[in-house]
Amino acid sequence: MWWLMGKLQFLYSALRKGRVDREIDDELRFHLEMTINENLKAGMSTDEATKDAFKRFGSLTRIKESSREVRRGITLESIAHDIRHGARLLRKHPGFSFVLVITMALGIGANAAIFSVVDSVLLRPLPYERPNELALIWSSFQLMGASRAPSSGTQLQEIRDRSQLLKDVAGIWVGNGTLAGTLEPEQVKIGDVTTNFFSVLGVKPSLGGSFTPEKDGNGLKEIMLTYGLWQRRFAADKDIVGKGILLNGRSFTVVGVLAKDFVLAFPVDANVPMNVQAFVPFQENIYEGPKDLYYIRLLARMKPGVTIEQAQAEATSVATQLRTEYAEYKKENLQFNVVQLHQDVVRDIKPALLALFVGAGLVVLISCFNVSNLLLAHASTRRKEIALRVAIGASRSRIARQLLTESLLVCFLGGVLGLGIGWVGLKLLLTIRPEILTRVGSVSINLPLVAFVSALTFGCGLIASLAPLLELRKLKLIEPLKEEARATSGRAKQRTRSLLMVSEMALGFVLLVGAGLMIRTLVQLHRVSPGFNPSKVLTFEMIPAGGLSQRRTSFVDLCEQKLAALPGVEAVGAISHLPLDDYPNWYSPYAPEGIAEDQKANLLADYRAVTPGYFQAIGAQLIAGRSFDKHDTAEGHPVVIVDSMLARQTWSNDSPLGRRINIERFTDEGFANGWAEVVGVVEHIKGQSLLKSIRGQIYIPYPQSSREHLSFVLRTSQDPSALAGLVRKEISEIDKTRAIAKVRPMEDYVSRALAPTNFTTVLATVFAVVALLLATVGIYAVVSYSVSQRTHEMGVRMALGARPANILRLVLKEGLALTAVGVTLGLAGALVLSNYISSLLFEVTAKDPLTYFVMALVIPLASIAACWRPARKAASGNVLDALRK
Amino acid sequence: MERLDLLQGTLHLLVLKTLSQGPLNGHALANRIKLITEDALHPGEGTLYPALYRMERRGWVRSKWGLSENNRKARYYKLTSAGRRQLELESKAWADISEAIAKIMQTA
Repeated sequence: MWWLMGKLQFLYSALRKGRVDREIDDELRFHLEMTINENLKAGMSTDEATKDAFKRFGSLTRIKESSREVRRGITLESIAHDIRHGARLLRKHPGFSFVLVITMALGIGANAAIFSVVDSVLLRPLPYERPNELALIWSSFQLMGASRAPSSGTQLQEIRDRSQLLKDVAGIWVGNGTLAGTLEPEQVKIGDVTTNFFSVLGVKPSLGGSFTPEKDGNGLKEIMLTYGLWQRRFAADKDIVGKGILLNGRSFTVVGVLAKDFVLAFPVDANVPMNVQAFVPFQENIYEGPKDLYYIRLLARMKPGVTIEQAQAEATSVATQLRTEYAEYKKENLQFNVVQLHQDVVRDIKPALLALFVGAGLVVLISCFNVSNLLLAHASTRRKEIALRVAIGASRSRIARQLLTESLLVCFLGGVLGLGIGWVGLKLLLTIRPEILTRVGSVSINLPLVAFVSALTFGCGLIASLAPLLELRKLKLIEPLKEEARATSGRAKQRTRSLLMVSEMALGFVLLVGAGLMIRTLVQLHRVSPGFNPSKVLTFEMIPAGGLSQRRTSFVDLCEQKLAALPGVEAVGAISHLPLDDYPNWYSPYAPEGIAEDQKANLLADYRAVTPGYFQAIGAQLIAGRSFDKHDTAEGHPVVIVDSMLARQTWSNDSPLGRRINIERFTDEGFANGWAEVVGVVEHIKGQSLLKSIRGQIYIPYPQSSREHLSFVLRTSQDPSALAGLVRKEISEIDKTRAIAKVRPMEDYVSRALAPTNFTTVLATVFAVVALLLATVGIYAVVSYSVSQRTHEMGVRMALGARPANILRLVLKEGLALTAVGVTLGLAGALVLSNYISSLLFEVTAKDPLTYFVMALVIPLASIAACWRPARKAASGNVLDALRK
Repeated sequence: MERLDLLQGTLHLLVLKTLSQGPLNGHALANRIKLITEDALHPGEGTLYPALYRMERRGWVRSKWGLSENNRKARYYKLTSAGRRQLELESKAWADISEAIAKIMQTA
């Protein structure tokens, strides 16, 4: 912004300059000629007449200069002059200037980086048509405490039919599918959607069209490809629309290809991941399916002008109607939660981003105070110069402008450098890559960023020049001129600078506490067991051969046997829902025997179908009872293993072994309920997030509930990635048409789950370290200036018998006194502000005494380090030299 | 008579007073002041023009290009109503000061 203003003024003045200068020239020439004429009339020779006229005029340039200044006011030239003057000063003190510019660059860089993220995640609208009209509708089953649950096809249709305020409602569910054809079979994420999905989302394909809308619910064999899949698997075939491709053994007609920049932006817990490769209409008729099979995520487009509150009110009344009309919904006390899509997508990351944004704000404030402080120290060495300039006629506003220009110049250089630092920093930061930041992927220096950095730079220039400007107002003309080098200069100034320094330390302390709490969170996350042991574990996804349950079971059996024989494999197992994976969860009610009828709907559990080897392979802890074995077949006695969380919740301290519970199973006829006996208890496994445990888990032997999606788990004695090739080969030898996907170490899932916390922690730590560094520089500047001002006093003290140690202590005491004030203020600030990040913390409270204690030590230590050199210098000073000054 | 140094405020007063009798160009203005004060007060060109521009900025005088007696293009200065008010103010202040100074001079 600053440079733009400069540019404008430049153009304007350049245009004006010609006219004004010409006029002044014309007028003065007229005057000269008239004088010469008079002289000639008075009898002088031409030569004499001209000489005399010029003599009387005095210096022509000086007149022009002052005339111009009067006639034009603030001009480009004076600004250019100020900038040149400022630049000369900066060049003259390269070390000093370097510190100034780096200080500013660090502050602005931190802000530039975090702003890029905030802009692309929070501010930039989602890449859909009129994204503000898009809303998610979650089913809420209050009795079970599930407020963000998916819905059934019946619910989708009822809302669509009954709503006046919604233009349309679409549904999506993401599963896996196997692409076949001439190339190797490949397993990919497939989005099952209602045919209106893309028109509701407001996305136009870049090739072809969308699904035939009228055929919704008819198992339409149409498919839409994402740009990436089209490029990769179909060699960007321009004529692909209308061709058939094989998905799960059936032919689907390609109707369209999505645009390159298409993204699927859904909240994490919707289990609609971004890496969906293709979309097909629901193959089952969702409107005729079970009314209580909740798996579809509802996406609504509101009519223009409808607010979320209105849509929510309407959805609430629809829910009331549905509860009276359907026994299923009455039993579960169905409600709807309507939330804006964008708000919901950023729901998890927003608090962290805002906290980091505030953190960056504090950093840049410290930068400003620091620059202010350094300029002030510098200004006092320039007091004579300034006083002299005022004395010989420079107006104070002119000097103020000069000071402002200097500080703006520093901020401008800092801003340019900061933009670079921010850009590089962000690139590095994105290597952590929490999934939500995918949209930030292509980091670029774009217009909003440049605008933000410009505004910030300008603001910083103003803030940083505030203290020196206030000083200027107090400047007395005579004193600095009289003042000798040693003068015990302005107590008031020292106060301003101490104030700045104390503020820096207080802000620094707040940042340190924030970072400390995040680090503690990360440590806790690493320390707390997720309930399994991810090291040396390889996993992959596969859809076992289709058809009946029995066929699947024997196929899985065969795979396990073959995989177990691979070198280095210690244990093999499989599970329908791998911990920390983004595959849609399977959770349903369960009921222990003897529970009161009215309590029945209250209990929810995560269901998992596992093979006998799973627990050993993943490294889960069996607490009581037995694991599954080969006798737990489809025909065998129905059994389950529950986790410690569910056991405690259901039976408190009584042993669950031998008890019967009513559970859900997946059979050849779909989901069915039945009784099963608890035969074992395992340690709870964190299924969705490392930060929180949501529900207890029920494990069913795979033959008794053979879900069509499976993740295999291999515990190995070596690097698990090294086994990937062998695993692929083995599976393709068993069945050439089987595709496997996501062949990756279990540790990948863990680090992905840690990524958001890592991201926040790394940024918070960087901010805190920068803040600490800047505050230390601030202390150093203040103390060394104060020492240099008091050399004489120190000399006197030493002459009177003070030992170097006394002097050392004296200086340190001064620095530490200020530090104590800063830390106290920071403590108060941190206690208040840390509450805002408590949602980001894990097993650490916002008032964690350890963090506060450590950080309260760090600042004084930094302060001592900063004071040490000036203090030593003061103490080692030669008495005579000091007195002579 | 010896030439006197001019204080800036005095120069304003002189210019305003001289222009109150009618518009003049810079050269004529300088000559007129010289003439009336019988060469005692002689504003240097170096101070006259910046003073004129300053007064124009303050709105006391307005200027426009015109023709001089010998048909040359020259810039003419004319008193505005604000200038007239300023003249009244300054002449009164001047009268007060000179009266006060005169009194001092008599007693001393």
